[in-house]
Amino acid sequence: MSAEALEAALEALGVHGRVEVRGKLAIVTVRDAAALRDPAVRERAVAAAQSHGFTNLALELGHDGDAPLSGD
Amino acid sequence: MDDTLDPRELAVAREKEARLVEWLREQPSVLLGFSGGVDSAYLGCVGAEALGPSRMLAVIGRSPSYPAEQWETARRVAEGVGLRVLEVDTHEMDDPSYVANPSNRCYFCKSELWTVLGRVARERGIATIVDGTNADDRGDWRPGAAAGREHEVRSPLAELGLTKREIRALSRARGIPTWAQPSSPCLSSRLPYGTAVTAERLRAVELAERAVRALGVRGDLRVRHHGDLARVELSREELGAWLEPGPLRALAAAVRAAGFDRVAVDLRGFRSGSLNVLHGVTAA
Repeated sequence: MSAEALEAALEALGVHGRVEVRGKLAIVTVRDAAALRDPAVRERAVAAAQSHGFTNLALELGHDGDAPLSGD
Repeated sequence: MDDTLDPRELAVAREKEARLVEWLREQPSVLLGFSGGVDSAYLGCVGAEALGPSRMLAVIGRSPSYPAEQWETARRVAEGVGLRVLEVDTHEMDDPSYVANPSNRCYFCKSELWTVLGRVARERGIATIVDGTNADDRGDWRPGAAAGREHEVRSPLAELGLTKREIRALSRARGIPTWAQPSSPCLSSRLPYGTAVTAERLRAVELAERAVRALGVRGDLRVRHHGDLARVELSREELGAWLEPGPLRALAAAVRAAGFDRVAVDLRGFRSGSLNVLHGVTAA
């Protein structure tokens, strides 16, 4: 399970961000969550995470309560 | 949630219900382990009708691993269906084997529950102890079932083949308010195996789930505890709406206020037993 490999796979889906690995959980932090609002993209992103050995893919929400995701 | 049965399926479910009534009437008296969930509410309702209040007692086991709101729901449901209720405290949090949170954690919790309820049954001369396990549950990873067998707890819904879908449909037909209620296993199920079960962690999960519910989430919901990070699982039907900027901000604020530093939304949505999958106890 590689964070970099999953980042590249997500990049190909238009999801640009960093991946943190916690066991079989992949946590992705993105600059813009817009792409993930499309159910088809979400489905492909989850499938990509699974193909890289993760059981779960989660989107981390930012710390700034006013603008948790830049590009909203 | 598809609770609709076609006429043939409904006829089959009603036949099973008739057998359940017969089964209950064969028991001199029954003690029901009552959580106020879909299954035990249905069994309690049918039991109260079949046996009357003098032969049926529903017992709620209270502990920090169940949200206070669930007890309130259980009390309300019992009152609505005419069930006699007793509330007792259980002490699984005093058991180091439970607190260590192994993959068979449920066994230790249910051992405590059935020990306490068994005592109540003996003191009151109640012949049969039952729970709300249904036919679908038998295919799941449920180490707590072994404790039930050791304490001779019967599971008439499962024994008579009643599935969750049938129970929801029959509950709806009887006007039982829990028919569409999401399943709600104990709060400890939100902690990964090996993470010690503490009152503080359970409280953080309880507060976070209550806060997210207050935002308007109606379907299945779990806040999974990963140390400093809360992973929120929402039903697939609701997930898309909560990924919009405003709802995401509200979600993050609500969960952080419950005591988590970091918040993430699971992109696959709710899955029953997802921590079992994450830890390889069951398949993905």
